[in-house]
Amino acid sequence: MSSAAVATRQTAALAWRSIITTLRLPQAWFPALFFPLVLMAIFTASFGGAPGNIPGFPPIRGFLDFAVCGAIVQGVLIAGTTAGAAFATDIEHGFFDRLVASPTSRVSILTGRLGASVALGVFQALLFLSIAAIFGARVDGGFWGVVVVVIIAATFAAAVGGLGVYLAIRTGSGEAVQGMFPLFLALLFFSSAFFPLATMTGWYHAVAAINPISYLVEAMRDEVLGGATVWTAITGIGIAAGLAVISISASAITLRRRLRVAS
Amino acid sequence: MSDQAVETQDLVREYKGGVKAVDGVSLSIASGGIFGFLGPNGAGKSTTVRMLTTLLKPTSGTAIVAGYDVAKHPDQVRRRIGVALQDAAIDPYMTGRELLRLQGVLHALPRAECRARAESLLERVDLVDAADRRVGTYSGGMRRRLDLALSLVHEPVVLFLDEPTTGLDPVSRVTLWEEVRRLNREHGTTVFLTTQYLEEADQLADRVAIIDGGRIVADGSPRELKARIGFPLLSVVAADGSSADDVRRVLATFGEIVPGAVEHGAAVRLPGGSTAMADAVRALDEAGVRFAEVDLTEPSLDDVFLASTGRHLGAGDDVPA
Repeated sequence: MSSAAVATRQTAALAWRSIITTLRLPQAWFPALFFPLVLMAIFTASFGGAPGNIPGFPPIRGFLDFAVCGAIVQGVLIAGTTAGAAFATDIEHGFFDRLVASPTSRVSILTGRLGASVALGVFQALLFLSIAAIFGARVDGGFWGVVVVVIIAATFAAAVGGLGVYLAIRTGSGEAVQGMFPLFLALLFFSSAFFPLATMTGWYHAVAAINPISYLVEAMRDEVLGGATVWTAITGIGIAAGLAVISISASAITLRRRLRVAS
Repeated sequence: MSDQAVETQDLVREYKGGVKAVDGVSLSIASGGIFGFLGPNGAGKSTTVRMLTTLLKPTSGTAIVAGYDVAKHPDQVRRRIGVALQDAAIDPYMTGRELLRLQGVLHALPRAECRARAESLLERVDLVDAADRRVGTYSGGMRRRLDLALSLVHEPVVLFLDEPTTGLDPVSRVTLWEEVRRLNREHGTTVFLTTQYLEEADQLADRVAIIDGGRIVADGSPRELKARIGFPLLSVVAADGSSADDVRRVLATFGEIVPGAVEHGAAVRLPGGSTAMADAVRALDEAGVRFAEVDLTEPSLDDVFLASTGRHLGAGDDVPA
């Protein structure tokens, strides 16, 4: 087998391990589904009485159509934090050592973890869209709209996964990584993930206006609400990909440095 | 492969602040044996093992493991070593069988072989019934056995076991010892094990090195090490009709009498060891000396440790680093 084939197989095996250990631990997957869905339900119930008429909101059929993309991004963020914490736990408890002391391809130590994040991101996006659809939401962009939303979610999942790995290696502590979560959540709330920029004022608006997550979520929302173009899709995917490149590079460099201490 | 499974030359690992966890360790371990690395907590055992298993780069010095330099050809070393580190690093949410198969993939074994190896190893460490249970439900002994099995998936040439029985109950400990012996005997796997238990080193290892403060303070077979401390002590208690003096007179011809060691009898350091014991007993008999009790005590590894470091190695107690 070529070394690329070996690395691919090891990536798949490690991604599979990350996925099944996540699924078997309810506290690992439950928050990533529960909180975004609850928030989505609360927002929808709160604003649902005035579809299309809220000042500052784009014309919408129902509030659920507006809320679902923010929920997906929030879910991906929670799942990514959990994945980062799991990677840190691997370092703490020695699974990482077991990998390093074996001839496992070094790349797959990283890609295995990221692969799991991407797979879970795809699953979350499809699940949230399905649940929203059951309660009457509609993706205006149709099949390709769904594809774009899923691609952005998956790419963003890779970005958050990379950040998680970076923090895991830097701190070496699952609790430390999990402790960063409120910060990520604040980052999400300081964006237009839940409410449009037009409803915000002052410095809050200023922060949200420069937050890349705003534009990432808006690109997804355009696919759901309508008004999406090739350009909005490319912008959304581009922002997610840019974030992914930055965080994955950072995690790869830290991982390399960490392994160099080894050999 | 060379005859030496592990060969190190002045191995040093210095941590930030200039603390030398390992300070000039030179070891030459022949293939095919069981090597016991004995020392208290913080002595440098684990740091040495981490260097030998490519997890930590030596600050200076060289280490050749299974024929390859750990710093220059870590990948070659990794292909040939099995590693079971302290605090058995096992996913509680995966089953034994899943973990064994995953380990096979990590060693790039073909799929069919991953499965076959997993089954035969499960059988070998007696975990067939527990194979599909999550590891979180395993007992400490079962975990260590699984950990051992995981380190054997690729049939390593040299196996590193870092404190394999720490925290285990006596029965589980003996079971694991048996497994390690069998592995060494049937597969010729060289075993490098660290331990803070004298008994473990004594029972299992054919060669022992004692490390303290990052330096090797004694190195040899348990027998040699003990012999270095002194010869075994033969104590004879005289029976009715014979006096302590009679016993002493005969024993004195075999070695140095240790005064006051035995009440109503005598004790002698026997340079000839247990072989000389038979001669001594025969000589007593021929001289018509009647005796009630004969006892031969070997010096223990604790005596060796005491002589090398000036301290006792309390089994399992925490000596601050």
